[in-house]
Amino acid sequence: MSASPGTVFLLDDEPGMLKALTRLLKCEGFNVHGFTSAKVFLETCRAEAGSCLVLDVAMPEISGLEFQQRLTQSGFLLPIVFLTGHGDIPMSVQAIKAGAVDFLTKPVRDVDLLRAVRAALRQSAEQSDQVSKLAKFRERYSRLTPRECEVMQRVVAGQLNKQIAASLGTGEHTIKVHRARVMEKLGVESVADLVRAAERLGLGKSTGR
Amino acid sequence: MSWVTILWSMTASACLTLAVIHFLVWCQRRSTWADLLFTLTSAGAAAYAVIELWMMRAQTPAEFATALRWLHVPTWVIVVSLIGFVRLHLRAGRLWLAWVTIALRSLALLLNFLVGQNLNYREVTALHHVTFLGEPISLGLGVSNPLMLIGQLSLLVWLIFTADATITVWRRGDRRLALLTGGSIVLFSLAGVLQAVLVLWRLVDWPLTESFFYLGIVLAMGYEKSRDTLRAEQLADDVREGEEQISMAAAAANLGFWSRDLKTDELWASENWRVMFGFTKAERLDFNMFLQRLYADDRESIRQAVARAIEEADNYEVEYRVVLPDGQSRWIASRGRVQIANGGKPVRMHGVSADITARKQSEAELVQKRNELAHLSRVTTVSELSGSLAHELNQPLAIILTNAQAAQRLLAQQPPDLAEARDILADIVSEDQRAGEVIRRLRSLLKHGETSLRPLAVDEIMGEMLQFTRNDLIRQGVTAHRNLAGNLPPVLGDRIQLQQVLINLILNACDAMAANPPAARHLTLETSLHEKTIRIAVSDTGCGLPADAESIFQPFYTTKPQGLGLGLSICRSLVTAHQGRLWAQKRDATTGGTTLYLELPVIAEAGL
Repeated sequence: MSASPGTVFLLDDEPGMLKALTRLLKCEGFNVHGFTSAKVFLETCRAEAGSCLVLDVAMPEISGLEFQQRLTQSGFLLPIVFLTGHGDIPMSVQAIKAGAVDFLTKPVRDVDLLRAVRAALRQSAEQSDQVSKLAKFRERYSRLTPRECEVMQRVVAGQLNKQIAASLGTGEHTIKVHRARVMEKLGVESVADLVRAAERLGLGKSTGR
Repeated sequence: MSWVTILWSMTASACLTLAVIHFLVWCQRRSTWADLLFTLTSAGAAAYAVIELWMMRAQTPAEFATALRWLHVPTWVIVVSLIGFVRLHLRAGRLWLAWVTIALRSLALLLNFLVGQNLNYREVTALHHVTFLGEPISLGLGVSNPLMLIGQLSLLVWLIFTADATITVWRRGDRRLALLTGGSIVLFSLAGVLQAVLVLWRLVDWPLTESFFYLGIVLAMGYEKSRDTLRAEQLADDVREGEEQISMAAAAANLGFWSRDLKTDELWASENWRVMFGFTKAERLDFNMFLQRLYADDRESIRQAVARAIEEADNYEVEYRVVLPDGQSRWIASRGRVQIANGGKPVRMHGVSADITARKQSEAELVQKRNELAHLSRVTTVSELSGSLAHELNQPLAIILTNAQAAQRLLAQQPPDLAEARDILADIVSEDQRAGEVIRRLRSLLKHGETSLRPLAVDEIMGEMLQFTRNDLIRQGVTAHRNLAGNLPPVLGDRIQLQQVLINLILNACDAMAANPPAARHLTLETSLHEKTIRIAVSDTGCGLPADAESIFQPFYTTKPQGLGLGLSICRSLVTAHQGRLWAQKRDATTGGTTLYLELPVIAEAGL
C-alpha cells in the first residue's frame, strides 16, 4: 500500500450521484476526479500509479462493459470498480472476468465502496510494482549471453544438468557454471524464483509446452 | 196553381238554396273563392228564373220591356262568376278570352240601360199571348235592337272560352272534371244561348227558359263541390289512419310526442310521453312540471336550451336524465321545433322524446370496458417498464444513501464540516422529492380511474415520457432525438391515457430496432401544429411495417414472443375516444423504419 491515499476517477452520468460519491470519497482523503461523460474522461485522463476508476455500467453513450474493454485494449492499467443501478449476474461475471476489482450495486454501503476502492488502489499499486519489477527483469535478461539463455530455458523447462549438457554437447560442469551465472545476473536465489521470473518474461510459454 | 209558376219557383228556390248554403260555407272559409263564385252563379240563376216568370206574367208591353232589361243583370253575374269558377276550380281557360267576354258583357249591360227599352228591343210595341204548358203567357212584340248582337257575341266568346278550358282539362288528364263540370257548363250554356237567339230574334214563339239550363249548370257545379266535401272526408279518414299508424310506430319505437302552447304554457303530450315521464293519462301538464322531473343538474341547461330555441325560433336537440316519482331514472333524448305565427311570434313548440336509457347504459358499459382494458394494458406496460422504473427510483435512493453516509463522516470529523453537511442535506431533500415524483407518476399510471379530460401540454408530456423510458432506451442502446415544436396550444385529453399511448409507441419503436446494431438505433420524437390539430410523430429506424400497415392496429397482432398484441389496438381506441387519429407510415429509404403519427385536436375545436 502506497503512502498517499490515491486517486479515484468517478464516471457516472448522473450528476447527483457523482456529487455524492465525490463527497464520500473526499472525506476519506482520496483525490477525486468526477466525470459524467466517458468521452471526456478518455480525452483528459492519464493513468497514474495508485489510481482507480469507479464506473457506472449504464450510460447513454457507451456501456460500462464496452468501456472496460476499450480501456484494457488501449493498455490503460486502471483497476475498475463497477457501481451499477441494475446489475445482473451475467453482467457482473463478464466484468469480473475482464478484470474488474469489484461489482457493486446501488445503493451501496459506504464501507463496501471504500473497501472496494482501497482494494482497487492496492491492485493499482501492485500492478505498477510488478510493472517496474518486470522492467528490471527485462533489463537483466538482456544481459545474458545466448548460451546462458539456452541454459535458462532448459532449466526452467525442468531439465537436469546432465540432460542439458547432453543436448548442448558440453560437460555437466560447464552447465553448472552457466546456471550459476544466470541466477546471479537475474538476481534470483532459487530455481522456483527463476521459473517465476521466466513466466513473467513470457519465456515459459514458448518452451514449456 | 199553374205549372209555369211551380216550375220557375222551384228552379229559383233550388238555386237560391244552393246559393245560401255555399255562401255560408264561404263565410266559414273566406279563402275558398270558388264557393263565393258558386254562390253568385246560383243567386244569378235564381234571379234569372224569377225575372223569366215576371216576363211571362207581364201585363203591358212596358212591363215586359222592363223585366227584360233587368234580366241582363243576372246574365252578367252568371257569365262573370262562371268565368271565375272555371279559372279557379278548373284551373284552365285563356285569360284574354275571359277578359274579352267580361268586356263585351259589361258593354252589353251598359247599352242595355242606355239605349232603347233594353238591349233586345228598341221598343216593345205589343204583347203576344201564347199557350205554354196549358196556360197563356206573354211574349213581347216590337222592334228588335241590333245592339243585341254585342250581347250574343259576348256569349259566343264565353262559349269558346269555356269549351277551350274544358279541352285543356281533358288534355290534362282530369277527364271526369272535364266531362261533368266543363262539359255540362258548355252544353247548358250552348243550349241557353241558342234558345235566347231563337226566342229574342222571334224565330220561335217560345218564352225564355234559360233558367233551367242555368239550374243544370248549378247542379253540375254543386255535384263537383260535393265531391270536394267527400274528398275532404276521405282525407280526414286518411289523416286519422296515418295518425294511428304514427302513434303505433311511436309506441313501438318508444317515442313520445308533445306540444306546448307558449301563450298558455299548457303542455299536451301523447300517452307514451306521459308514461315515459311518469305522468298520469289525464293530468294537466305544464312546462314547469316537466322541468321538475329532470335531474336537478340538468334542469338549468335544458331550460336555457329551450329558451334559446324559442328566442331564435330554432330547432333544438337535447339529452337529459329524468327521475320518475318511483325513483327510477331514465335517459331521454328530445327534439323540438318552434312554430311561428304569421306575425313572426313563436306560438307553439312541438317535439318528440325518446327513451335512450338502454343506449346510454351500453355506452357507459363500453366506456367502462375500454377503461378496464386500458388499465390492464397499462399495468402490462408498466410491468414491461419495471426495470426502468426500478432504476428511476433506485437512483435517488442511492444518491440519498451516499450523501447521508458522507454526511455522517463529515460530522464525525474534528472539526465537523457543517457547511458541506448543510449542502448534503439540501441535496438529500431534492433527491427525495425526485423519488416521490417517480412514485406519484407510477401510481397515477396504475390508477384505476375514470377518464378525466383536461387541457394538456403535449410537449411537456413528451419530455416526461422520455424521462420515464430513459432507462429502457439506455439499456436497449437506443439514442433518442427530440424535435418538439414548443409553444403548442393545449389539447383536451386524459393525461394518463395519453401517457400510456406514448409509452407504448416509444417501447414499440425500441423493440422494432432490437435487430439493428446499436449505432443504428435512433428514436425521434417530434411535435408540430397542423391547422387545428397537434401532430406527434414517433419514428424509429427499425424493421419497418408489414405490407398491410393497418394490420398492426388489429387486436392480437404481435411480433413479440411474449406480446399479447393488444397495445396498439388499445392505443387506437384511446386516441379515437379523444377525437384523434393514430396511424403508421413507412419512412423513406434513407432512414428506413416506421413513423407512428398521433393527431389530437386542439382545444378550440374539440369543444366541451
